[in-house]
Amino acid sequence: MDLDKIEAPHAGASLASLVDGDVPRPRNVLRSKDLSLRFASKTILTGIDLPIRRGSITALIGPTGSGKTTFLRTLNRMNDKVPGFAHTGDVLIDGESLWARHADLLDLRRRVGMVFQRPNPFPMSIRDNVVAGVKAHRIARRGQLDLIAERRLQEVGLWDAVKDRLGDSPFRLSGGQQQLLCLARALAVGPDILLLDEPTSSLDPMSTEAIEHLLSTLAPALTLVVVTHNLAQARRISHETVLFFDGTLVEHGPTADLFANPGDPRTQRYVSGRIG
Amino acid sequence: MTTADRSPGVPPATLVLAAQRAGRKLTTTAKRAVHFLLRHEDSAWVWAARTAAVVPLVALVLLITVLAWKAWPAIEVNGLGFLTHSKWDTGNLYGAVTKTHGVSHPAGASYGAWPLIAGTLESSGIALVIALPVSIGAAFAMTERMPRAVSRVIGFFVELLAGVPSVIIGLWGALTLGPLLARDVYPIIARHAPQVPVLRYLRGPTGVGEGLLTSSVVLALMIVPIIAATTRDLLKQVPDLPKEGARALGMTDWEVARRVTLPWVKTGVVGATVLGLGRALGETMAVAMVTGVVLGSTARNVYGTMTTIAATIVSQLDASFTDATGFAVRTLAEAALVLAVITLLVNVGARLLVRRSAGTALPVGRGI
Repeated sequence: MDLDKIEAPHAGASLASLVDGDVPRPRNVLRSKDLSLRFASKTILTGIDLPIRRGSITALIGPTGSGKTTFLRTLNRMNDKVPGFAHTGDVLIDGESLWARHADLLDLRRRVGMVFQRPNPFPMSIRDNVVAGVKAHRIARRGQLDLIAERRLQEVGLWDAVKDRLGDSPFRLSGGQQQLLCLARALAVGPDILLLDEPTSSLDPMSTEAIEHLLSTLAPALTLVVVTHNLAQARRISHETVLFFDGTLVEHGPTADLFANPGDPRTQRYVSGRIG
Repeated sequence: MTTADRSPGVPPATLVLAAQRAGRKLTTTAKRAVHFLLRHEDSAWVWAARTAAVVPLVALVLLITVLAWKAWPAIEVNGLGFLTHSKWDTGNLYGAVTKTHGVSHPAGASYGAWPLIAGTLESSGIALVIALPVSIGAAFAMTERMPRAVSRVIGFFVELLAGVPSVIIGLWGALTLGPLLARDVYPIIARHAPQVPVLRYLRGPTGVGEGLLTSSVVLALMIVPIIAATTRDLLKQVPDLPKEGARALGMTDWEVARRVTLPWVKTGVVGATVLGLGRALGETMAVAMVTGVVLGSTARNVYGTMTTIAATIVSQLDASFTDATGFAVRTLAEAALVLAVITLLVNVGARLLVRRSAGTALPVGRGI
């Protein structure tokens, strides 16, 4: 078991709660409790119990159609408007249900950001892309937007490449740069949790490396949940790994453990490349 | 019959047979022509396409040239004042004929088209202000809000509305809509409009509904289908991914529409708007029926009586033929030329606007 990776985020989180002056927040920032989900008559997820630890990187792996993306999208309620959506069980964020009556959907999505499988810049300038969410949530004054754009672009390592063309279209950037831009955009609204749906599956190896590096630096401050088809990627960047199979959670454990000593035969076959 | 073989040089067998069967009744020359065309099917197709592509250009150039040529004597006599004066006087059609710059015209003839130009721009401008939000709202409602079946039915009616002849909408506007608005709506607007620039034109006497605003409402009704149907088709092409990204960022539906979906199709919407504006600028019958033709003065407020270039031409043409010198008709040609130029300028202006604002690359609807 990789103790460093597991312990570090925890320490970071408790520090953050001391700075905030809050009562210590639950150790698990997200907790799925017996979540089952269906679209109309089609059951997608059955009885998912999964705590997600604050400040960790959790990889969701599993064959296509195993429900991992649906589970990810449930975490910021992107499935709610899918026709026929219905769920039982619950998902708690900081101890509160996502679907609590007083829950604010827009604020939930500010706290739980999302990066998609393919880069999806908005049809506006590079700078406006970064601050689009900031403007929508009215987090900052107009005069601060330039600074925010600069900071976030530096954070994702895109600043030097785009600093002379902030007013240009994002569609002229490379795929990797566009994905970094989308990351900067998601980070700009100050989320606690970032959901990533195969964030590098459409990118070349160099861009993939840049993104993976960035993700591993984000971890103690943010909680990341990454869906990936790339087992090597899961091993490289995640602290914990969860295997989905046919809409059920098969196994959940520290990444190194799960890959080295899979407890379930299906996990064993999946991580050795015999299924999926 | 099966589809013809289109490889170059090889005449499609079925067509040759058909041609031969028909050829029995043709002359030898005609037979040769048919065979020649079949042998050169591809190049014939290419040349037909090229010719068709040039037709609009030639037609436009010819149109403007002939119009300018017909109007030239009137342009000489009326001078630049034609664009700025308001007086519209055919002169004494039964009296003496005088000559200016070698052009003969009835004594006392004096033409100023300013009210027509102003009326054209005002009515179309107001129509656009009314139609644009309605169209875009309708397009969004059809693509994002309604169940598919409802949206299809509404879409069908929108397209149906586009096909209603303007004379019918004009008649309805003059007999029903105008009086209704003048009785129940205009007085309320006039009473509550604030005394500030632009909006103060909403104040004052409201008339009987045969004025500028009624014309604009009728025009708006005619261009809404054009803009709404095009915008709806464009919105359908916007990919889900950026919209989802915006929602995942915590934007409201309104913000997603305003910041992502609409900018995505901006170019195309401008194109559709220009198409609609073109129709409004040139619309003749509906305006002529709603406002009649009031020559010689611009509307004093939005309820005031007015006329447009197109409406004036259609209503004055008959009377103009009684001018034995032909000067009145030439003046109408000059007015038509002004309308053509306005329409062209609007088109070119919109294109420039699109090119300048397309800096952030809009993948859908480019080049409409």
